[in-house]
Amino acid sequence: MEALETFIVESTVPEEGAAYRSIISDIISELVLGGAIGRIKVVIRPEDSLFQMAIVLRGSQSPVKLSDFAEVGYGNLEKKEIKLTMNEEKYLPALLEKLWARYSRGNVIQPERKTLLIRQKEDPEKEISFLEEMLVADPKQTLLSRLVEMAIRSTPEGFRVRYHSMKDNYFIFVASEDNLKSEWIEEGHMILEQLQEEK
Amino acid sequence: MAAVLEPYIYEGGVHKHTLITELLEDLGGYLIQKVPAATEVTLIMLIPRDDVHLIEELGTKLLGTLTKAPLTGTEIAVVSPTLASHHLPHSACDVAEHLRRDGANTNMLGLARGMGRRVALSADYERKLINEHDIAVFSFGTFSDCIRNKKPKLLEGVRIPKVVTGGPDLKTEDVANADVYVGNIGRVAHRLRKSEEISSLDIMNQKVADIVKQMREEIAKDPLAVLPPRVMKEVHEQVPQIGQVLAPAPITLQLDGLRIKLPYGEFHEKIENLEFDEGIRLFELARITPSKMKNYILVKIKRESEVGFAI
Repeated sequence: MEALETFIVESTVPEEGAAYRSIISDIISELVLGGAIGRIKVVIRPEDSLFQMAIVLRGSQSPVKLSDFAEVGYGNLEKKEIKLTMNEEKYLPALLEKLWARYSRGNVIQPERKTLLIRQKEDPEKEISFLEEMLVADPKQTLLSRLVEMAIRSTPEGFRVRYHSMKDNYFIFVASEDNLKSEWIEEGHMILEQLQEEK
Repeated sequence: MAAVLEPYIYEGGVHKHTLITELLEDLGGYLIQKVPAATEVTLIMLIPRDDVHLIEELGTKLLGTLTKAPLTGTEIAVVSPTLASHHLPHSACDVAEHLRRDGANTNMLGLARGMGRRVALSADYERKLINEHDIAVFSFGTFSDCIRNKKPKLLEGVRIPKVVTGGPDLKTEDVANADVYVGNIGRVAHRLRKSEEISSLDIMNQKVADIVKQMREEIAKDPLAVLPPRVMKEVHEQVPQIGQVLAPAPITLQLDGLRIKLPYGEFHEKIENLEFDEGIRLFELARITPSKMKNYILVKIKRESEVGFAI
């Protein structure tokens, strides 16, 4: 499935649907969800105060290990130092958090942008193999929270009664100002089925 | 009779900009607001019509630009249904910024319960606060159904001219209670900077300027007993504490009055007893009341017909 291969926003007045599509696409790019969403369909009926959204996610990304984006090697052998050379800075904040927790702040030194030195007393070889396998980030977990954030941001303001369901890679969100009718939620599931059938 | 004053904005370097303010004072014009930003400065001023070329010549010498600012001396309320991320910073702040470019002073106002369709409402306090301004600009959303049928109740009780902005292309008659409707400025999640977005903002400024012109003509029929900028000048001279106010516009001009950002309890007597060269005190010419905004002082100047003379 391509990223955003289906992106439909329908409203009672077609031009308003198009305007709303631009809002949602802005929100998707703001939350960096473009790569994660495969198909998305939104149906808005302002006269019923109704907002429905169904999303098919592209297969989930696997957790990121330290060895995926950095080389772990020896620093100063006498001092049992470990040297990390990173190819990507994206995960640096999460990595630093983990390293600080394990070695304490004073023992993690960053002499330049993409290099980290760790002062420690254990056997460097063991530490290196441990660090290589260390989980740094889990995109799947942050994805869910970003999806929820996106759903709330893209809902028209004041639609405070919400229903959502997340199963595997499928996400349904229905919101309204009044009590949700069960047929609206069913409709949400129908929209998702349509998206799933698309090939 | 005082000379006819024209509103202008000067944008240029901080270097030697005091030459302009000195010249302006010599010519009998008024400096309304000065906004320094690092090495740049923006001066909003009223210049006597016959002497505009003098300021322009000096401005060109200092490599600055002088442009007309038709909204100078107005205080405009930009009202969004709430202060949630749905309206802010885009597009309500973009609307306010664009109005400021033409010299207006704007206040952003988010209603406490303006969201949604059935539940949208405004409080008495909010309406009174909006009514203290010259013009209210309501920034609404994308759906014509909401703008036509649900949101106009937020305009009820607002007695000043109301401009409504929204996404769909509607006619003013479609929006009950509105004086002007401007389309293509609906809910967006990005900064308004595309050419068609900017041109809708320009249309809005034009329409607001038309309303201001009408209001000025209306006032000219029965002029104010004293010009608001003159009161402003006197406050600066007679109440030195105004220099310690940190608000960007310590005194905000309105078409028929001004808002002085000093606490009412402590300063209202000083303001009431402000003396003019003619030996008249301000309380004879204006109503001085506490403002709904914080604890400020609101001055609304009486008309010539009520006072019997104008200075």
